[in-house]
Amino acid sequence: MDAKLKETILNPIFKGNPITVLVLGICSSLAVTVTMKGALVMALSVIVVTGISSLILSLLRNTIPGRVRIIVQLVVVAMMVILVDQILKSFEATYAIDKQLSVYIGLIITNCIVMGRIEAFALGNKPWPSFLDGLANGAGYGMILLVVAFFRELLGSGTLFGIDILNRFGYVPNNLVILPPFALILLGCIVWVQRSIQKDLQEK
Amino acid sequence: MNTNNNVYTVIYTTIIVVVVAALLAFVSQSLKAKQDANEKAETISQMLTAAQYGTKAEMDKLSNTAKLEKYAQEIDEAYTINLKGEKVSDLPLDKVYSPGELKRQNYNIKGGANKTGEPELPVFLFKNGTVVVPIYGAGLWGPIWGYIAFEQGTPVIKGAYFDHESETAGLGAKIKDDPAFQNEFVGEKVDFSNANVFEIVKGGAPKDAEGKSLIDNKIDAITGATMTSQGLDAAIDTWLGAYANHFGVAILLGSTDMQKNPCKCASCPCEDCPCDCHCTPGQDGCHCPGCECPECSGNMKHKED
Amino acid sequence: MEYLSLFTKSIFVDNMIFAYFLGMCSFLAVSKNVKTAAGLGVAVIAVLLITLPVNYLLNTYVLAPDALIEGVDLSFLSFIVFIAVIAAIVQIVEMLVEKFSPELYSALGIFLPLIAVNCAILGGSLFMQQKDFINIGEATVYALGSGIGWFLAIVSLAAIREKMSYSNVPDALKGLGITFITVGLMGIAFMTFMGISL
Repeated sequence: MDAKLKETILNPIFKGNPITVLVLGICSSLAVTVTMKGALVMALSVIVVTGISSLILSLLRNTIPGRVRIIVQLVVVAMMVILVDQILKSFEATYAIDKQLSVYIGLIITNCIVMGRIEAFALGNKPWPSFLDGLANGAGYGMILLVVAFFRELLGSGTLFGIDILNRFGYVPNNLVILPPFALILLGCIVWVQRSIQKDLQEK
Repeated sequence: MNTNNNVYTVIYTTIIVVVVAALLAFVSQSLKAKQDANEKAETISQMLTAAQYGTKAEMDKLSNTAKLEKYAQEIDEAYTINLKGEKVSDLPLDKVYSPGELKRQNYNIKGGANKTGEPELPVFLFKNGTVVVPIYGAGLWGPIWGYIAFEQGTPVIKGAYFDHESETAGLGAKIKDDPAFQNEFVGEKVDFSNANVFEIVKGGAPKDAEGKSLIDNKIDAITGATMTSQGLDAAIDTWLGAYANHFGVAILLGSTDMQKNPCKCASCPCEDCPCDCHCTPGQDGCHCPGCECPECSGNMKHKED
Repeated sequence: MEYLSLFTKSIFVDNMIFAYFLGMCSFLAVSKNVKTAAGLGVAVIAVLLITLPVNYLLNTYVLAPDALIEGVDLSFLSFIVFIAVIAAIVQIVEMLVEKFSPELYSALGIFLPLIAVNCAILGGSLFMQQKDFINIGEATVYALGSGIGWFLAIVSLAAIREKMSYSNVPDALKGLGITFITVGLMGIAFMTFMGISL
């Protein structure tokens, strides 16, 4: 693997993280981080969606008229998400998975990470790097989701993945933690930690 | 190729839109039968959960065919009623109401621009002595619905199960995921004579040592999910309110069958009683048991005062 | 529902930013100074005001079950239709503004593509679908109210950020970090409106 591809994959995980550096996909990160399970489902679906939609739009990139590119992008992304939803819904074995996922369908479509990466990367690069860029950005996003969800579920419900961790020691769950504003404060702290380590990201 | 050409842009957009719409329509149509079957099995497992045939987790372990078989075994009678509480027609025993159908009935109950006809409210009687009715309403992000089971002939709740389309995981989604919340309903009594038949209030209900609400028709809201709790409260009030004429009378007369008491009193003591009361003549005028109209002096409740 | 109560409710109680946390990305990215923030706010109001009534009409007369042809339910298309309408209208507005008012375009132009992916806009249409408004008037009032709510939120955050640039914030927390925390605190303040029924 050449250095440039490696950079494409590693950059979004930390240095160019979509949430803490590019400020993309905040809305959904507030809504899905109350539980680890929700965060994990959302993270996996966003990885798949950003990867595949970057791939498709990168293949189409030379044919898309400049003026309507946003419509085309949105339509392709939305179509893909709805298709997956419809197909999962029709099999008995996958119906339960779909019930978990369908909650996030709207959030996945409007997640600006998907659009942002298509606009910034996939439209100007070949399909393979675009696909990797999509996957890596989804992963970087998912990582922050899981970190935030870890603290919110542990402190807000006293559990992790629904399994009791703190409550058995007489912990009283903090209700502030499960409200959306606390997710913002946590994100602020994550940015603080990240920028203390990577001083070149600091703003003046 | 000049991709900024107007003609090209228009043609390209048209093709994309047509292809996408055709693909989605095709997939949606060809998979609809399978999706409906899955949805029906899910609805059945939710009703069986509410009717206390097992927990939702136990239901989920059954296959679709097993769910349908279990339902066919346990269902005793199913029929629809109208807002007056009168029986409209019998339902086939394998008929259930999907969330989509509940939505339509919800419009019909509420009236307004989306009304498509008179409400047809389904009632399901099970062999274990429970009667299950659906509810439907709006949560924070999307629709919520569910099933409430009563002990036949009483306003006592035996079980409840709720589902939602897109409530926040860990907060509003608790109406579905948290069996403890659903258990709070068990043993509560619905007050059919009140417009506010049931209340879900924040910190409002005092509890006993086991965490059960001490007030008959009041339970505690979900912390951090004010809007979902309010939505559920409103959905229950709307739907159980619509069933009030049916259950209110049936319960007070000790029967679930409205048709047995069709008597309509011509001289209701309440002059402009807006209700279609089903009265029984008494020494001092008429009793209108189950009449939910607060102005009606013939109301049993006023009678006791 | 009365128009006035719907209007007030959609500004304060159902505030897009602080009650639903929708449209955060552009809210955080474009709130460095009051002037640009106000520009984006106005653009959001305008786009909401056009897309919501259009989507309302589409939803009522095309997408709802039995609306177009008896027995045909097109509601599975609602996501894609709403999104396409929003993207198309943003594009049309962009072209019109560019053609007729170059000054406004240079002030607003860069924000318009951002708006197409603003969750607040799609959120508005989805809430409209869920709230069952009885006529187009209610949908329009709701659009205006939520737009103004969004405008107020971004302008007040921008004002705080302008003031904050004189404060002594730890280096690593400057910019994005402290903004996240500020928005969190503003959100807690706005929770006082939660659950008020008008």
